[in-house]
Amino acid sequence: MNNLIRLVTFFCLTAAINSYAQVKGLIQVSAVKGDSQPSWQEGGLGLYRYDSNNDGIVLSQGVLDFSIDLNSAWSAHGVVNVYQDPQLTLGFSQAYFQYKPLSSSKYKWHIRAGGFYPLLSLENPDKGWLSPYNYTNSAINSWVGEEIRTLGVEATIKRPGRRFNSAHSFSFVGATFKGNDPAGTLLAWRGFAMHDRQTTFNESIAFAPVTSLNTPQLQFQANQVLPFEEVDGRFGYYAGVHWDYLKKSQFRFYYYDNNGDPAALNKSTGQYAWDTRFSSAAWLYKFTANTRFITQMMSGSTAMGTKRGVNNRFYSHFVLVSHKMAKHRISIRYDYFEVTDHDDWLFDPNASEGEGITATLRYQLTPQWQLGIEGSALHSQADNRAAINSPKNISQQQISLNVQWRY
Amino acid sequence: MISKMKILFAMVLLCIVLENNAAVITINDQSQQGQANAVVWLTPNTRLDATSDEQTFTMAQKDRQFTPHILVVEQNSQVEFPNADSIMHHVYSFSKSKSFELKLYREQPQAPITFDKTGVVELGCNIHDWMLGYIVVVDSPFYGITNDQGQLSLDVPQGDYTLNVWHEGFSDISSTESQALVIANNDVSYQLKQKVTPRIAIAVDEFDEYE
Repeated sequence: MNNLIRLVTFFCLTAAINSYAQVKGLIQVSAVKGDSQPSWQEGGLGLYRYDSNNDGIVLSQGVLDFSIDLNSAWSAHGVVNVYQDPQLTLGFSQAYFQYKPLSSSKYKWHIRAGGFYPLLSLENPDKGWLSPYNYTNSAINSWVGEEIRTLGVEATIKRPGRRFNSAHSFSFVGATFKGNDPAGTLLAWRGFAMHDRQTTFNESIAFAPVTSLNTPQLQFQANQVLPFEEVDGRFGYYAGVHWDYLKKSQFRFYYYDNNGDPAALNKSTGQYAWDTRFSSAAWLYKFTANTRFITQMMSGSTAMGTKRGVNNRFYSHFVLVSHKMAKHRISIRYDYFEVTDHDDWLFDPNASEGEGITATLRYQLTPQWQLGIEGSALHSQADNRAAINSPKNISQQQISLNVQWRY
Repeated sequence: MISKMKILFAMVLLCIVLENNAAVITINDQSQQGQANAVVWLTPNTRLDATSDEQTFTMAQKDRQFTPHILVVEQNSQVEFPNADSIMHHVYSFSKSKSFELKLYREQPQAPITFDKTGVVELGCNIHDWMLGYIVVVDSPFYGITNDQGQLSLDVPQGDYTLNVWHEGFSDISSTESQALVIANNDVSYQLKQKVTPRIAIAVDEFDEYE
């Protein structure tokens, strides 16, 4: 991964001499009133990004998004994120090349190669994969932001409706990738969470001191996940279809399978390859130019260990309504999420469940400055909390005031 | 006050004079309804003196659309492509009369392009494939686009002309319809010989570029 970043950086620097680069930045500072339950980021059981220890001013987002034209068809793209939680971090969350040739054909195609997101989500179209709706992402896309990334090659063929004078456009996407073997680990030992903290390449995410990790069966599993690590040497894949009707209705379906070999283990990093696969369906519908409805459903399974000792299924959905009135945008979202335990390792309960509601009001002061306030409440239960002397059921709230500046 | 009245009077007079020279042209579709957004130009049958200076026109990209959607220019005109959006556009044409590509940033305007051949230039954007625009390059200074009633008014000397019509809803967008006509003190109407397919309008916003 380091080599990839070096390669991208090298090409970008070389290209910058000869071609045009577009650099966009975004800084978001938040005043947060967090919940008393310590955040998962601090090894706690809370499912929000912040807790009462963070109360005060935090740098919630620092994004540098750049695109460099190498020639007519090739371009290089990267997103650098800076975070101060859980500790000061600077890293790439995306770095890839794109080949998008001009063609006189009515069909269009392009290829991305490097590290990037599969475009499952209709919630995160802003710079740096941020959401223009709620600050706290849905449970689905919180998880995608922390454990899912493609380190490989993706090809897209598009039938743009405009070129056929049709109201319908279709894209067909296929990708193959390495890495991303431990995806699913967080769902087993923490469950879904709700936040906007994306994982940069090479970052690790710690979880709470889950008691079952002290058992002989799980002795090699580290108390953290390196979600983008390659463990089993196998290629994963995903396939997707996008169907747009006049951009008024946008539908995306993806099937993802990291093709992990659950028996594969990297003892030195304490990471297993998880056999993780899921389907995701997302739909956006614009009632009017100012009012839209977004929903997404994800259903999948994940397993690790020679005999699939940890074997879970997971499911989540959200519904989001967002309305824009001149410079104001109000967005309200409901999330439901669950992990069900399907193995016979009774000492390692993985089932969890929860729901949350998040309401956000943003005010666009100028094209550069935006102010916003958000309140979110969630209720969750997890079977592995009892062994850590914590109640199975937790209710949490988080309020934030946010100032965003972009250029 | 008096001087204002004088100016107003002069303007009214000017309008009357202009109207006297203007020919109202109506383009009808096959069901005799006025056809909006038809490009019309009159080619004089007697050769005109070489026309005046080359003009510079603008085909902007604003809110992820070409603005205007259709631009009519006289042959050898220059067209600028300013990008008013904060994102990049990659404008291209594969049309016979002008083939080109431009990567366009708001911060880095490109030199204008000269359209030296007549014909229809179809514009696309390689990044935002819903963007579609047209530049119609004509060999006459008498041109315009019909309004919602299918009409346009052209300030044109009396004489013999060829009326040319193009619409983006034609099945072959590089074809035009033509007919000889005489401009005297009369209004002119023309009925299209082919069916015009309504154009698909795609409304987009700032979050639709995430493909």
